[in-house]
Amino acid sequence: MPAVQETIEQVRNIDVDQYKYGFETLIETDKAPKGLNEDIIRLISAKKDEPEWMLDWRLEAFRRWQTMSEPSWARVSYPEIDFQDIHYYAAPKSTSGPTSLEEVDPELLRTYEKLGIPLKEQEILAGVRKQGEPSDLDAIEGNGGRRVAVDAVFDSVSVVTTFKKELAAAGVIFCSISEAIREHPDLVRKYLGTVVPTSDNYYATLNTAVFTDGSFVYVPKGVRCPMELSTYFRINEKNTGQFERTLIIAEEGAYVSYLEGCTAPQRDENQLHAAVVELIALDDAEIKYSTVQNWYPGDKDGKGGIYNFVTKRGDCRGKNSKISWTQVETGSAITWKYPSCILRGDNSQGEFYSIAVSNGHQQIDSGTKMLHLGKNTVSRIISKGISAGRSNNTYRGQVSVHRKATNARNFTNCDSLLIGNDCGAHTVPYIEAKNATAKLEHEATTSKISEDQLFYVMQRGIPEEEAIALIVNGFVKEVIQELPMEFAVEAQKLIGISLEGSVG
Amino acid sequence: MNVHATPQMTAAEQALIDTYGQLFSDLPGDTAVVVRRDEAVEALKSGLPTRRVEAWHYTDLRRLLSTVPAFDPLARAKEQPALLSGATVLPVLSGTVTSMPQIEGVAIRRIFDRLSDGSLAAQLFDGDAADAIGAINTAFVGDGYALDIAEGAEIAKPIELQNLHEGGQTHVRFATHAGRNSRATIVERQTGTGEALVSAISHITVEDGAELTWIILQEQPDDATFLGQTNIEIGADAKFTLFFMNAGGKLVRQEVTVNVAGEGSEFILRGVNLLAGGTHCDVTMVLDHAAANTVSTEVIRNVVTDQAKGVFQGQIRVAREAQKTDAKMACNTLLLTDEGEFSAKPELEIFADDVACGHGATVTEIDQGHLFYLMARGIDEKTARGLLVRAFLAEVIEDLENEAMVEALEEKLTAWFATHG
Amino acid sequence: MLEIKNLHARVAETGTEIIRGLDLTVKAGEVAAIMGPNGSGKSTLSYVLAGRPDYEVTDGDILYDGQSILEMDPAERAAAGVFLAFQYPMEIPGVATMEFLKVAINSQRRARGDAELKIPDLLKKVKEAAGTLEMDMAMLKRPLNVGFSGGEKKRAEILQMMLLEPKLCVLDETDSGLDIDALKIVADGVNALRSPERAMVVITHYQRLLDYIVPDTVHVLSRGRVVKSGDKGLALELEKNGYAGVVGEAA
Repeated sequence: MPAVQETIEQVRNIDVDQYKYGFETLIETDKAPKGLNEDIIRLISAKKDEPEWMLDWRLEAFRRWQTMSEPSWARVSYPEIDFQDIHYYAAPKSTSGPTSLEEVDPELLRTYEKLGIPLKEQEILAGVRKQGEPSDLDAIEGNGGRRVAVDAVFDSVSVVTTFKKELAAAGVIFCSISEAIREHPDLVRKYLGTVVPTSDNYYATLNTAVFTDGSFVYVPKGVRCPMELSTYFRINEKNTGQFERTLIIAEEGAYVSYLEGCTAPQRDENQLHAAVVELIALDDAEIKYSTVQNWYPGDKDGKGGIYNFVTKRGDCRGKNSKISWTQVETGSAITWKYPSCILRGDNSQGEFYSIAVSNGHQQIDSGTKMLHLGKNTVSRIISKGISAGRSNNTYRGQVSVHRKATNARNFTNCDSLLIGNDCGAHTVPYIEAKNATAKLEHEATTSKISEDQLFYVMQRGIPEEEAIALIVNGFVKEVIQELPMEFAVEAQKLIGISLEGSVG
Repeated sequence: MNVHATPQMTAAEQALIDTYGQLFSDLPGDTAVVVRRDEAVEALKSGLPTRRVEAWHYTDLRRLLSTVPAFDPLARAKEQPALLSGATVLPVLSGTVTSMPQIEGVAIRRIFDRLSDGSLAAQLFDGDAADAIGAINTAFVGDGYALDIAEGAEIAKPIELQNLHEGGQTHVRFATHAGRNSRATIVERQTGTGEALVSAISHITVEDGAELTWIILQEQPDDATFLGQTNIEIGADAKFTLFFMNAGGKLVRQEVTVNVAGEGSEFILRGVNLLAGGTHCDVTMVLDHAAANTVSTEVIRNVVTDQAKGVFQGQIRVAREAQKTDAKMACNTLLLTDEGEFSAKPELEIFADDVACGHGATVTEIDQGHLFYLMARGIDEKTARGLLVRAFLAEVIEDLENEAMVEALEEKLTAWFATHG
Repeated sequence: MLEIKNLHARVAETGTEIIRGLDLTVKAGEVAAIMGPNGSGKSTLSYVLAGRPDYEVTDGDILYDGQSILEMDPAERAAAGVFLAFQYPMEIPGVATMEFLKVAINSQRRARGDAELKIPDLLKKVKEAAGTLEMDMAMLKRPLNVGFSGGEKKRAEILQMMLLEPKLCVLDETDSGLDIDALKIVADGVNALRSPERAMVVITHYQRLLDYIVPDTVHVLSRGRVVKSGDKGLALELEKNGYAGVVGEAA
């Protein structure tokens, strides 16, 4: 595995207080004025050329949101957010409705390069190679058969989607949610808001009112999506909130693997990110959703950074369906995120694999909910938390077996690792059983890297910081191996970088 | 205590306030105590906690405490035989101490006197919004025992504190101070007959080098509400073992607050919850490791049958200076009916890096492999199930070192199974 | 190659002194056996040589190739060529043995300014060494030492030693937990590494291992000091008469 080596290289090459993705892209943007009111929502809807029902839905959500208050139960603290001091719409000017890659601003392409978008997609984005042509990189990477379709969301809009034609041939729809609302209104109307209802929670309701873009995926009956789908989210503009909305539907017997990556430039102020993701798996369908979240975490004094308040939920609506969440959370000043599964269909399965790394002044409160409603439903939770610096890292999870969910099974394992004595690691599980045939097992541990292990590894000639990175990568291996290959490599690098400076 | 405004008082809330109005002039206490009592009642006026208060997440006291029976001034419960023969019994009968036995090495006082002279005021309700039990008890507490175990004393015979009622309300306290290097075993019995609201609070201080074992046996009748609270502070190189068995009651909340405050000390908790009928039983523990090199282990076993509801909340908190803490907690539940429920919330809150902390929680049915094995040996299913459930619980009881105590508690187990098995 | 002068070392946390004025010289090409009863400081000596942070050197010095290594951390000592085969090798969950070998070898090469080993070359080397130790390559895909039997762990230690090519090998109770067949294989592995440029310090409680790894010198340790030195005959004498005579004599 070259990954660990690369991690080590990365750690060596990067200064302690340097966030690799903290560059700003200087391109012209089209921005709505700051503030939130019905006119702004009408403006967003108009910019997106939305039908009337969509605007009505947004306005209803906005009215509800005004009656709601911010949740306070999570172990995170931050100054009050001024929701009127945010731009709710920002779009790169040159990209209004790109029809081909050539129209994409070269600055943007350079952005993707810096973001570490897999090399082969960069080639496509940069126009070096046409889709479907073999790449020189195939031989080196040794995975010539693998391709990933990429959607990139820049501030508020989706700027480019690759492999569209090929996907269309398979019947798969992969486009921005704005496009889906225009082109596939029936599908959107049928499913949007059915997993995360309008008034689900404060941030989700806000998102419903103001979301500007995101991805839409529809995989028809019996289709195994021929490639991995990927979205890169990037907040670039100052004082801009990013509110993306993602909807993925896997019809009967369909399969799709979807990846998302997130980054933002370094800024002194905090920026808000409040996304909603809804997944729907019908009978025998499977959705695999992977995230590498690396929003700007703030500097070493805790200044700046993204507030990441995200609602992600999957509905195993059909029998024998399966939804699997894998997340690597290394960024954001605050993470508030609980990708969940509603196990409605009989024999459905939910999985949650998580690595949450906090350093500096980061605060993470993340976990999952597994709601067992159907018979013979199975869930599995593997959470690995690593706290360093002055950060606080909380796992919060709920496993609930309802009265009629006979033979439900859950296995949960939460391990936390503390590096240094100024951080905190917390585990808050809620385990609820209302059926005698349920079998729930939960185990959690908190410890530090053992001195004995560290001495052993160093005795083989591996310097301390690399030794720690090696042991930590071993600690998170069970989750890393759930990620698609390209992401696994990137994730391991990120973990190494995130822990840089945590020793000594 | 409910942070959200409560528009209208429930019948139970109203009854509590009214009772205070009737009784306050008869309750013992100096000015300091009266101030605390008034504060407690003010807190009650703002409403009992709902599930929105995190500490009461699974026990919505406002909803569950539906009625509060009136005080019965004529009730006089009778002393019970001790759990262990030879134990010295200190009985509180329907809320009042009636005898003061002598124990060598232990100074015994009535809580009535310690309220009257104000020396107990510091242990009363201190305004913590989630402390509903503290508030209710502070408002009405009239008596109980305060034990002071002398430095170095080894009390050979167990001391049995009995809180007995015949319906109505009783609110008692037990305050125990175990001097340096002392040794003692204390049994706390909570039982009675008839519809009742019982609250009992113990403050226990274990000084450096002392070893104290505390057994709580709660066997309230089916129509009683029991609100118990045990607060423990453990000094350096001291050891405190707490065992509880909950085997009755309609609504039971048992709070355990532990401060492992001295280096090199140890806390052991073993608990058995036998939940049947319409019982709602909530055991909530908050355990603070505040000093370095301390050890704690907690094992809770629950059996839930009929429509019973069980809750275990266990929070282990390790302070930044509590390096080398070794804390392990396990909560295992056998849920025997679909009408029953069990919820567990085992929490870790860790601020020290050089620690080994863990918790495990399971909810399962009886192991089918074990059941099959016993049945293959000719044991019928009902008997086999009974054997397995009993063994599951007995394992925890057998962790106690005192064999006579183990036997006595296992008899209680047998008796419970005879009624509910 | 190794010169230990009046070494005093204690447990950092408790301050208990374990090594109390130890002198020992081991030349290049020499195999020195360190024997002694339980608690005489044998394992502590191995840890202090490798730079384990739980121990503090309070007096004396350790010279390696004429230079003091006391200020070097464990990784620096390892890169300089000091290898410790642990009595109880640590389990490293999630890190495949092969991956670990690669990182270790290349870390050391980098520290010495050598080019990193390419994967095919590395594989070839590992395959060869594993073959000598009769180890299954499939085992190298498993996380390092996790779930390995006692014998497998010891073989993995010797495998690492062969691949890292140290100049000073310290073997701490390598024979413990090995059956006779495994012992022979491990000893053959060690013997294959004997060379005029390499020194070995073989720590053992029993003479048994020395039947297979025949030492040039034997040193008896008691209460943190070398109390008697001799040739391999001394080991046989200890086997026959026990430690009491030698240790008593010195006390």
